[in-house]
This record gives sequence, structure tokens and C-alpha cells, in this order.
Amino acid sequence: MRQRSLIAITAALAAGALTLTACGSRDDDGGGSDSGNGGTTVVIGVDAPLTGDLSALGLGIKNSVDLAAKTANKEKYVEGVTFKIEALDDQGQASVGQQNATKLVANDDVLGVVGPLNSSVGEAMQKVFDTAKLVEVSPANTNPALTQGVNWQKEKVRPYKSYFRTATTDAIQGPFAAQYVYNDAKKKKVFVIDDKKTYGAGLAATFTEEFKKLGGKVVGTEHINPESKDFSAVATKVKNSGADVVYYGGEYPQAGPLSKQIKEAGAKIPLVGGDGIYSADFIKLAGAAGTGDLATSVGAPVEELPSAKEFVANYKAAGYKEAYEAYGGYSYDSAWAIIEAVKKVVEDNDGKLPDDARAKVVDAMQNVSFDGVTGKVSFDEFGDATNKQLTVYSVKDGAWGTVKSGTFTG
Amino acid sequence: MSGVGPVEPGEGTHVRDAPSAPRPRRGPLERYFEQHRRAVLGALLISAVLAGSGYLHATRPRPESPPAPPHPSQVTTVAYLNPQAVDVETDPRSFSFGVEVTVESDPPVTVTRISQPYAGLSVTSDPRTPFRTKAGSPRKIMITMRVTECGKVPRNVGLPFLDVTLRNTHAIQMHSFILGPRYAQDLSHALQVACSNDFR
Repeated sequence: MRQRSLIAITAALAAGALTLTACGSRDDDGGGSDSGNGGTTVVIGVDAPLTGDLSALGLGIKNSVDLAAKTANKEKYVEGVTFKIEALDDQGQASVGQQNATKLVANDDVLGVVGPLNSSVGEAMQKVFDTAKLVEVSPANTNPALTQGVNWQKEKVRPYKSYFRTATTDAIQGPFAAQYVYNDAKKKKVFVIDDKKTYGAGLAATFTEEFKKLGGKVVGTEHINPESKDFSAVATKVKNSGADVVYYGGEYPQAGPLSKQIKEAGAKIPLVGGDGIYSADFIKLAGAAGTGDLATSVGAPVEELPSAKEFVANYKAAGYKEAYEAYGGYSYDSAWAIIEAVKKVVEDNDGKLPDDARAKVVDAMQNVSFDGVTGKVSFDEFGDATNKQLTVYSVKDGAWGTVKSGTFTG
Repeated sequence: MSGVGPVEPGEGTHVRDAPSAPRPRRGPLERYFEQHRRAVLGALLISAVLAGSGYLHATRPRPESPPAPPHPSQVTTVAYLNPQAVDVETDPRSFSFGVEVTVESDPPVTVTRISQPYAGLSVTSDPRTPFRTKAGSPRKIMITMRVTECGKVPRNVGLPFLDVTLRNTHAIQMHSFILGPRYAQDLSHALQVACSNDFR
């Protein structure tokens, strides 16, 4: 009898304590929710193409953010906070990305979003996030206008305070590619093709401008329809133009078949593109004819960065099915920047999330600085990465090999 | 007494040496062992001691080997400073500017070559290559360019760069340093002056 009374009293006290804890936990939360173990759950949203042609890159982004969240939880990097990810598929479509942005904003637990892949999608999401003061860090958007305004060539004006990126912009990537193609590869006559999208057209434009300034000649330009896979008409034009190189502004699902068809048309000249074609899938699509094709991509080669080696090993150990691809390291660093910002906000508020956590995270992001997978991670006054490295890769023996790297120090 | 205790030999019953049984035939190895028993046992003992020591040495706890030094391009920055005054009377086709080479962490980095990609320009530096830069001690380097052929220099490029070959104890690398828009403007200006009609 006595034992039974003791159990009853203990149970009643425990229930009371739990009720009090539950009541108290949400009062001063500006985001996040009770994780059930006395802590708070913070969600990092992910937006990327998880299905469709570009899913190789998108899944690499999602997995890398997941790895960052798991690493932070394992290390208990932010006291009392457990990170979770919520990944949404934008299918590479601006309108879907915008809907995803609205969905992520509606979830109070989301305090930061990593993504998207495509600059056109990023453009559509920026305003939604900025209105909600929700930080967005893209690992892959390279169009300069996203951080420096549409008139970036004349006057740089940051359009959205909540938008950041870890990738280098095409204001550097295009000219870097032009310098390599003209000076190192000694190509003087280029045929420029783009997919009319924000990223592709923007990159082709920055490449073309520098190539002409260097003394190179543009012997033809064409736009392709990204929905099509038959580029034979364009390939014939390339053949007849006498070009010694093709520059393509766009992504690998089109660049691969385009390269193949240009060579089949009889123009045995390299196709050069940006980070959008730097994928193992490009090589699969281009086939053997792709040997000698070139791509510039953001960042230094993985083998040069000890921190990247650790990331590669951890990614492998985590057992993700898909490769981390071109933006894995940048995605991990984007997520980690959010984690650092959350940590700062929590620590500045006596270990709890404040009411206006989202706005505070945006402010904290501006001053984030840490040694990431891709080197030192911090942001300039426009929200651009301060670490601006680029590498030229070429297709050799069925794989991308490093040719030359450069660092912007201006 | 009963039992089966040892039976003491009675008188006259002392054990005598029994005549030895005929020895079985032995092989040459056995004969050698018989003749050199001490030496063989000694050698075996020494071998065992050596093998044991070797094993212990090989499996001794060792401090973790230090991580490989970073690639030189990952710790080196070459930043543009400003144009330097030169005596145009001496060589109107030359112009100079300063850059700062900074190394973030050890080991020191040696710049073994500085070049630029344009066909109509040649480059020298002061100090001349190779020169060494230690972490925490940035070096100011004067770069002098000379126009060798005005028709082969770009007049107005957006992001020109310097190619610098870097070496440390880990690797040797050629790396491009894109010195930014201020360098681009100063370079364009210098090229326009150097290739003006005055001396063409």
C-alpha cells in the first residue's frame, strides 16, 4: 500500500513538472519549437531541384545541408538547440521556388534557408524571404544582380538585406573564363550560346564582354530552348561559323547534348561553360566527344583544401546515395553560416531564442566568420562571399580534371 | 607394510649401468645440432629477442603525424597596392606598380615566377624571383611591365590577372591572382600612355 502511494505521488509531481516546462518553453520563442528533450528545434529550410534534370546538383545540396545539421547536433554546437532540415523541391522552376519560399516562411521554426540552385529561382524567392526577414543563403546562385542590383555594372546597390551567398558571382566567373580561353587556351573566335535564363544569359554576357576586350572575336550567337534536346540547327551554325571555341551559358542537361551534337556536326572544337555544366552528368551526356571541353566552377579544387577532405570523408561516412556534386561544400558552408548566426543570437539572449529571432539571425549573418569547407566564410556589404576562388576544369579520361585556379583579391 | 612405496634396493641389487642400446642413426642436421648445441641455442635465443624487440619497436605508440602543410595557393594572397612612379624618360614603354604578398600560415612560401598572360607585355619584379615570404611578414613587391608590342596588349580588360608560381614544402602551383577593378583601370591607363603615338 505504502509503495503504491509513493508511486502515485511521484507520478503526480512528474506530470506537474512536465506541464510547467511545456508552458514555459514557448513564451519567449521567436522561432523554433520545443524539441521534446528540454531544448528547441530550429529548422533550416532547403530549396533546390530535387527532381528532374538538375536533381544531381539539387540532391547534393540537400544532403550537404543535412550533414551540417547532423554535425551541429552531434557536437551540440548550439547549446539547447537541435537542428532539423526541411527540404522542398523547386524543380528548377521560379514559380515553384516562390511557392516554396512562402511555405518555408509560414513555418515558424524555420530560421534560415539554404538555396536555391538557379539564379532565376533565387530572383523569385528573394522578396518573399526579405519581407519575412528570413535569411537565405545560396550556395550556387552566381548572377551578380541578386546581390548587387540590376545595374551592378554601373552602380552596385544591394536589393535585399536577407540574401547572402557563398558562391562567387559571374561578374568574376565570366571574365575569368574569357581570360583563360583567350590567353591560355589561345582561342580567338568564339560562338556564344545561352539558354535565355537569368544564370545562362548573364554568364554568357560577362564572358563575351571580356573576350571582346581581350581582342577575341564573337563569330556567332544563338539562344537555345532549354526544353529541347535537339540542337542540330545550332550545331550546324557553329560548324559554318569557323569558330575555334563555343561558350555556353546554361546548365549541363542541355550543355551535354549540345557539345555532342556540335562535334557530330563536324566542329571538333571545345565547349566551355560555367559552374552549371561542372557535373559528372555533363560528361555522361556529352559522351566521348566531350573530352577537352572546359568548365569554370566556383571554389578551389577539393584536393587542395584539407577542410574539404574532411567534408568528403564525412559525407561518405554518412552514406548518402547521391554525390555532393559541385555545390556540396558551399551548401555545407551555407548551412553552417546559418548555424553560426543562430548560435550568436542564442548566446546574446541568455541561451534562448529571442522573439524576433529571424531578424536577429539576418543581422548576425552579416558578421559571421568561420573556417569552412571552402575556406574562410564571411560576407561583404552586398551579402557576397568574401572568398572568391575559381577553377578551370577540363574533361579528360571521362572525368573533370583541374587545369588552373584563380583568386580574386581586388 | 603394505602399499606400493618405492622399493629400496637390497644388498647386491645395485643398479648397474645397463649396456647402452645401439644408437639410432642420425641425420647431418641432428649431428650438427649435437655437436654445436650451445651455439645453436644461443643463436635461437638472440633471434627471438631481436624479433620481439623489432615487434615492440614497430608497434610502439607514436605521436600522430602532423597534418600535411596547406597548398601554397590556399595561404597566399597577392593584393594590388598602387601604381609606382617610374622614370618615363628612361623607358617610356615601362610602368610599375606595387603588390603585397601575404602568407597566412607556415610553412613559408617562395614565389618562383611572376608572369602575366598578354603576349605584348613582359614582366620583372623587385625583388627578383625567387623570393620567400614568411607567415605574418607581408612583402611589398614592385612589378614592372614593359610593352613589347602594342598591338598585342588589351587596352581595357575588366579583370586582368597576374600568374604567380608558388612553392612551399608541400606543393608547387601556378595560381592566378585577379587583382580587381582598380588594377584593371590602372593597367589600362598605363597601357594607353605606353602605347600613345609619342613613340610608335
